Amino acid sequence: MSTERARFGKVRDRVMESDLVRLLLSPGLGIAWVLLFLFLPMTVIVVISFSVPGDFGNVIYEFTLANYERFWEADVYKNIILESLVYGVVVTLLALPLGYTVGYFLGRSKTDWKWVLLGLVVLQYWVPFIIRTYAWIIVLSNNGVLNGLLLDLGVIASPLDIMYTDYSMILGLTVSLLPFMILPVYVSVSTIEEDQIHAAKTLGATDFRAFREITLPQSLPGIVSGILFVFIISAGAFLAPTLLGGPSTRMIAPVIETVFILDFNWPFAAALSLIYFAIIGVLLYLFTRRVDLEEALETGVA
Amino acid sequence: MATETDAVTQGETDVDAERGYFGITLSTRTKWNLIRAVTVFVYVLMLLPLAVIVINSFNPSRLGNFPPSSLSLRWYEALLADTRMLRALWNSFQVGVAAALGAGLVGTLTAMGFVRNDFPAQDALVIVMLSPLLIPPIIVGVASTIFFGQIGLERSLAWLIVMHTLLGLPYAFLIIRSQLYLFDETLEEAAKTLGANPVTTFREVTFPLISPSILTAMVIVFVISFGEFTATQFWVKRTTTTVPVVIFSMLRTSISPQIDALATVMLVITIAIPLLVLGIRRYLLGT
Repeated sequence: MSTERARFGKVRDRVMESDLVRLLLSPGLGIAWVLLFLFLPMTVIVVISFSVPGDFGNVIYEFTLANYERFWEADVYKNIILESLVYGVVVTLLALPLGYTVGYFLGRSKTDWKWVLLGLVVLQYWVPFIIRTYAWIIVLSNNGVLNGLLLDLGVIASPLDIMYTDYSMILGLTVSLLPFMILPVYVSVSTIEEDQIHAAKTLGATDFRAFREITLPQSLPGIVSGILFVFIISAGAFLAPTLLGGPSTRMIAPVIETVFILDFNWPFAAALSLIYFAIIGVLLYLFTRRVDLEEALETGVA
Repeated sequence: MATETDAVTQGETDVDAERGYFGITLSTRTKWNLIRAVTVFVYVLMLLPLAVIVINSFNPSRLGNFPPSSLSLRWYEALLADTRMLRALWNSFQVGVAAALGAGLVGTLTAMGFVRNDFPAQDALVIVMLSPLLIPPIIVGVASTIFFGQIGLERSLAWLIVMHTLLGLPYAFLIIRSQLYLFDETLEEAAKTLGANPVTTFREVTFPLISPSILTAMVIVFVISFGEFTATQFWVKRTTTTVPVVIFSMLRTSISPQIDALATVMLVITIAIPLLVLGIRRYLLGT
């Protein structure tokens, strides 16, 4: 028995020490997972985006450019993608100063409450989007908490129509995404040595100048990471535009979903997905020319 | 907060008080107080809506005022009686745990492989590993559903687990890899010199040292899986539906405090499970 085991152990060692086996078992497994369940489907929908839609989600494999022509000829889809990107920029521009301020506060404050406050941001990270989004419905709707409170206090005579507008959507999205800005900024601000700031001030720098020359450059990794996450998630958001937005709110994710589920037009849904993916891809590429994508993601996640 | 022990040192000379912004002159302390005010405002925005959900879930009446005049467990009782909800909760839990284990295992092996080996196109392959994080979930959802549809694969819990593992993989990979970078490789060398085979070395040396980050990664993957909606809506059928999908479909029909009760249960699970797991980890590590 024991010689049997020893022999098995030796064979196992030999197998494990072979470079190819090690590579296949180790990084290979993860790479295969992503290739098989993400890149292969993405490749298949390239083919399908050039095919003819059949009934009930069927695909007729006949080459056609019709799906892309449809996108190109009607302004509506082009505008939807453009508007999604604009909403993404607006949300990012709102989240940046608010999130930076909180991250800066947490990084520089010495209050005893700091760990509680930090813990609350981490917990926010975990709250599912569906709950955060739903929360704004009960707060902002016509018979919601905010209007109820303002009516009771006599501040307003009739309910405010804030729900189901661009404003409610942008508010909901911005607040949900704030933790993605706060935490990376906190991490980079808290690593700044306070002596540097003191030295600058001793040498006569104003608060603003010390901030601009020392704090800001060193918190850049956090800012970049925050912008990356907030922009990608907000431009591709589904729940906030569907549940909080108004009739004029048009974003790409709900539109792709409608084409897919209600129109059952899989080839056109594939084409829209790929066009949107290409645009995000180009933006990410431009982004990586200036900053390290990997580092930005790592700052945000780990 | 009477004790002011903030970053601002008292009595510091206010050099830029002379200049001011937009014609307004502010002292260092006033500026710090503004920062603090914005921070308080942001916390109110983040926490108040969630508090409203939790409080409202105890509201006895369907269209009751806020805050409720009395409290009741009526909506929680309704939840307990609703087999669809219980099934969705159970599905979400199973998928979350399985995806956490899956992404933990695959993520550990992949991170080990990237840190310990040199192979061609490594930088490009890192981007491949991170792509589930970069590609918007709507696209991941649509592409995979079309693909699985074309090869005739029925929607199932296994499908959901495979896809949630995919979504969690970049997080697991990044978290475990960053721990491996900090790892002292001579420890592994020592074990090997003492005659340990690669499997023993991993089991006895590497794994115990990186296990805290594996656990953190798994907790995060669970949380992501438990709350994911945008891609998941394409992946479920009636019997494999998850809590976020149920909440979404309830919102489509009517708004009742039962949604608040379900959301509160979900909130408690997403916060309690990670805290529990990480708490146990801390206890075991004795820190």
